[in-house]
Amino acid sequence: MIRFDQVSKRYEGGHEALSQLSFEVAAGEMAFVTGHSGAGKSTLLKLLGLIERPSHGVITLEGQNMAKIGRGGIPKLRRRLGMVFQDHRLLMDRTVFANVELPLMIGGMAPNERAKRVRAALEKVGLLSYERQLPATLSAGEQQRVGIARAIVAKPMLLIADEPTGNLDPTLAVEIMSLFAEFQSVGTTVLIASHDLPLIKKMKKRVIVLDHGRLVADVAAQEVL
Amino acid sequence: MSTQPEFPMESPLLSDQSRGIRTKARPVASWREHHGWSAAASLRRLMSRPVGTLLTVAVMAIALALPLTFYLLLGNVQKMGEALGQNQTVSVFLQPGQSGSSADLMAKKLRDRADVASVKVKTPDQGMDELAKMQGFSGALHTLDANPLPFVLEVLPRTDVNADGVDRLVADMRGLQGVDQVQDSGTWRQRLEALLGVGERAVLILAGLLAVAVLLVVGNTVRVDIASRSEEIGVLMLVGASRAFVRRPYLYAGIWYGLFAGVLAAGFAVLVELALAEPVAKLGQAYAGKLQIDVLPPWLLASVPVAAAFLGWLGARLVSAWQLRKAA
Ligand SMILES: Nc1ncnc2c1ncn2[C@@H]1O[C@H](COP(=O)(O)OP(=O)(O)O)[C@@H](O)[C@H]1O
Ligand SMILES: [Mg+2]
Repeated sequence: MIRFDQVSKRYEGGHEALSQLSFEVAAGEMAFVTGHSGAGKSTLLKLLGLIERPSHGVITLEGQNMAKIGRGGIPKLRRRLGMVFQDHRLLMDRTVFANVELPLMIGGMAPNERAKRVRAALEKVGLLSYERQLPATLSAGEQQRVGIARAIVAKPMLLIADEPTGNLDPTLAVEIMSLFAEFQSVGTTVLIASHDLPLIKKMKKRVIVLDHGRLVADVAAQEVL
Repeated sequence: MSTQPEFPMESPLLSDQSRGIRTKARPVASWREHHGWSAAASLRRLMSRPVGTLLTVAVMAIALALPLTFYLLLGNVQKMGEALGQNQTVSVFLQPGQSGSSADLMAKKLRDRADVASVKVKTPDQGMDELAKMQGFSGALHTLDANPLPFVLEVLPRTDVNADGVDRLVADMRGLQGVDQVQDSGTWRQRLEALLGVGERAVLILAGLLAVAVLLVVGNTVRVDIASRSEEIGVLMLVGASRAFVRRPYLYAGIWYGLFAGVLAAGFAVLVELALAEPVAKLGQAYAGKLQIDVLPPWLLASVPVAAAFLGWLGARLVSAWQLRKAA
């Protein structure tokens, strides 16, 4: 599904955020990317969403070299991804329903089918009764769940999440992570950046450890203690 | 079948065979739908800040109404000029001593010319009567023993003959034997024509400049709008919206601004027409008998909102292309 081959990323005027990174994630796998702040976790996910481009190396997604995707192809790629952000990136002047509906609208789905899918996704994250509310009236955890509903509503092949539990209390964080595990259990590839090691250990999934942009450990799910 | 949710709780949320958005190839329907949504959403946004919208629309409407008003005035001056020109006869004074028969003969020859509409022969007696009717002259005239007036031919050029043509006619008549002098207001006619030419050009230049002004006003408004919504645009792009999708509501906003401004401008122009109608009619009575205001043709009034909507779209298109250039 995902293949990084000697990938480096140097921001303009900065040092290398990622250095010669190579790893693979199989389809249907769930993996955590962890490391200290500034290790390059967010950068790694941004490369997958084509928010940033690598300076060197090749990233292959479902067999396709991502360097071959031009500006015009970016929207199409992003419609196949589900992205969850730490700051959830919701549209504050639109209802919860409208926020979750967004990817389907962009994808051109018929309204009645959209409504069904949006409700199903909201039900999945336990927010069906909030569909008419504005995101601002929701708690941080609820807003994060709206963001997750939006990420999964179009049934993406790959779900990537950057610190999805960053500002949530521990019990809520576990709940959210279990939600991601549930998506993996039905075949979605899931990649989550997090620095919350205790939580990661609880999840018993593969862990990719970065340190100053270098891959320093790649722990298989069975080996997580 | 009962109403089954797309993601039944007991079955997997994301079943393997149904990845992505399975749109059953409805590109036209979804395209139309998003256009409808964009048009409605942009209109709602404009309505949600009525004062700002009204100000923008008013500035644009004034910019559009100005050339329209000048065009209206120009049309009326032109029409009046034509109406006055129609009654503008050229007076040919024959030399004293020319007889009535030679006057008639000359009149007949002139009538045969292609550039002459009619020729009226005025006898010295008729001339005297006219003078007598003019106040203050009657007493003085009675003291004359003989009629000193010559025969006069009142030559009316055809209306489709322009100033140069009338000049040629006048020159020809001056060369005729037995003609003493020819009195023509040709310079007046020429000046008016030249003036109208300048006016027409000025209206065109003004219209061009003000169209640019409309473009700038829309462009700037849309620019501010896009800048204030950069966060939303970023989110849309992140969830896979194309540039065209993101841009669409702003293009519709431009169209709305243009359309409203165009309708308002056409309204202004009609008001100006109404305000001018009476004074123009009075002026017409004073000069040429009956003269009505030359109103703007309906097609022109109707095309103002259309053209303005196009300008609005263009302004929004240029600015959004420039602003979304860096968004990715
Ligand atoms: N847009 C950027 N421009 C310049 N440097 C950046 C940018 N984004 C991140 N960096 C730098 O790249 C390194 C990795 O950042 P990031 O991927 O955000 O790390 P993490 O998510 O693990 O905290 C950091 O040193 C950070 O300062
Ligand atoms: Mg980060």
